[in-house]
Amino acid sequence: MKTWDMIRIANRNLFRNKLRTFLTVAAIFVGSFTLTMTNGLGDGMRNYVESQVKNIESDRVIMVRKKFDKPVGGPRAGAPEEYKESPQEGDGEDDFDPNTMLLTVPQMESAVRGIDGVKSITPRYSLQGQYITVDGTKKYKLELGVLSEGITQKTEAGKTINGDGQIVIPLGLSREIDPNIENLIGKTATIGYKAANGEMKTLPLQLVGVATKGFMTNYNSFVDTATARLIHSAQRTGEGVDKFTGFTVQMATAEAAKIDAVKKKLGENGFEADTIADTQKRTYDAIGIFKTGMSLFALVALLAASFGIINTLVIAVLERTKEIGLQKALGMGRAKIFAIFSLESVLIGFWGALLGTLGGIAVGLIANKVLLTAYAESFEGFSLFAFTLPSIATVMLLVSGVAFVAGVLPAYRASRLNPIDSLRYE
Amino acid sequence: MLEVKDLCKTYTGDGVDYTALKNVDLRIDQGDCLAIVGKSGSGKSTLMHLLACLDVPTAGQVFVDGRDVSAVSEKEKNILRNEKFGFVFQQFFLNGRETVFENVVLPMRIRGASANQISADASDAISAVGLADKKQKKAKDLSGGEKQRVCIARALVGKPQVIFADEPTGNLDSTTGAAVEKMLFDLNRDAGITLVIVTHDDDLAKRCDRVIEMKDGQIVSEKRRGETI
Repeated sequence: MKTWDMIRIANRNLFRNKLRTFLTVAAIFVGSFTLTMTNGLGDGMRNYVESQVKNIESDRVIMVRKKFDKPVGGPRAGAPEEYKESPQEGDGEDDFDPNTMLLTVPQMESAVRGIDGVKSITPRYSLQGQYITVDGTKKYKLELGVLSEGITQKTEAGKTINGDGQIVIPLGLSREIDPNIENLIGKTATIGYKAANGEMKTLPLQLVGVATKGFMTNYNSFVDTATARLIHSAQRTGEGVDKFTGFTVQMATAEAAKIDAVKKKLGENGFEADTIADTQKRTYDAIGIFKTGMSLFALVALLAASFGIINTLVIAVLERTKEIGLQKALGMGRAKIFAIFSLESVLIGFWGALLGTLGGIAVGLIANKVLLTAYAESFEGFSLFAFTLPSIATVMLLVSGVAFVAGVLPAYRASRLNPIDSLRYE
Repeated sequence: MLEVKDLCKTYTGDGVDYTALKNVDLRIDQGDCLAIVGKSGSGKSTLMHLLACLDVPTAGQVFVDGRDVSAVSEKEKNILRNEKFGFVFQQFFLNGRETVFENVVLPMRIRGASANQISADASDAISAVGLADKKQKKAKDLSGGEKQRVCIARALVGKPQVIFADEPTGNLDSTTGAAVEKMLFDLNRDAGITLVIVTHDDDLAKRCDRVIEMKDGQIVSEKRRGETI
């Protein structure tokens, strides 16, 4: 028997008992619909997070902070803490002094001393800006951040910081200043900040770029390291002047092995060191776990549906016992009988998967549209559901595969039927 | 063409052995028209199943064209049945949802024949049983006699050497039964197709060239046409 004939026969057999086939397909539909939705949700979240964090890129910068060690004798993690009468505030042995997390530049330097591949280090400056103005009259509130050397900021217009005395401003702010943001590039932006003594100081900077939207870059303007150092020294006096919460290490190379070696060495020295890729990976992993967890529910639905397929086909084998007997008497081999029932099973899975994914995509796209109109302000460019061809293909293949496995038992039973007994079956 | 030697068949069920055939010897030549008669339980159906390679004997041998089929694989037996044998059953075993055409071409589909071949052979077979005008009718809409004619067309379509007919007229009234009988005998006479009919209808048996009578799993008599039973 030709393969095409078998597919045709299998498909016709499905239409013999339309209601039964429909109900079995419907069960599969639920499973694949759920799977499509959970996949779409996971991919949507991932896309969104990706679009947000991918704004800042660097393949050769490591962010470092001191490792937070639990104070000796502290309670075990998560355990309720017993109250102890302390004679003096801050005397308790499990009190945490935030100052211990702070680092001085010499400490940073000694941390990386002798490590191969380190080009330079930049302390993590914490700056307080007041305002920014381009035309000199209209002032806007300023949130100030630092773009360490080696980190690239994606821009809508202009380019990222590549020298001293430069600033990149957020998209929202730039549109407010001039709807045609290209006009702003190259202009002088004056920022205002308060010195340690409360005196307002101004600093003219070259506006080099308008940042693409992202978690941080929605509100922050970024300056270069040299500018940051200047503002920092004006804002801090006394003891706090040379203490920082962390620093970044600029590598001379993007070689993964070298970066790993530096991270390991810093780890041994009591530091936590992460590349931007590391932090992104952590976020993706979290989304991946979420996606897997959700998919498990869909798989349970699919499992239940596969019992429906088994049931449907077992009944079909009984109903068609005489027909199978005749086919065997007329020379149809076991493999072909098995193949026809397997094909019926796969077709049920295929139709369920097709309708389920199409339904899932339709609902997802409608949800995206509704969401866009409702929350356009806060989630620009965000699609709750994202559907990619590989993930849809995976769902289709998986569901058809599950259906095939479900069909093995009935198909095997059909293939083993004895022709004489089958022809006599009542 | 077909030969059995010292054929035995024992069924085992619930620990009790039931012997359906005992040391049966039989030779059927090309072009023979043979009736196997006997009461129910005499072993006539079992003999037919073994002749048609649908079942495996407990002891003894079945030869098809001189070849011992006990040495033949399942797959080859399937091909052998498909190409050399045709079957007509008392209960028709038609698929009522399908057209006459689809029912008739089933052996050709199983064989994997080309669409052109199928359509040509099917037209011949359907015309031969006089159902050309009902080719696209659903099998369930036919009368009993027409259904059995569809079965004959199905048995005929693969150009077999032997047609096995198991009570071919058992479900038909005498008029339509006679028409079906005539059709089978014409095929035997004109196309030289060997005919093996299992029946307990003495009138049908009398019209065959050879009649073997079975009782308790053994052949108790064999008569040629012209001899009196």
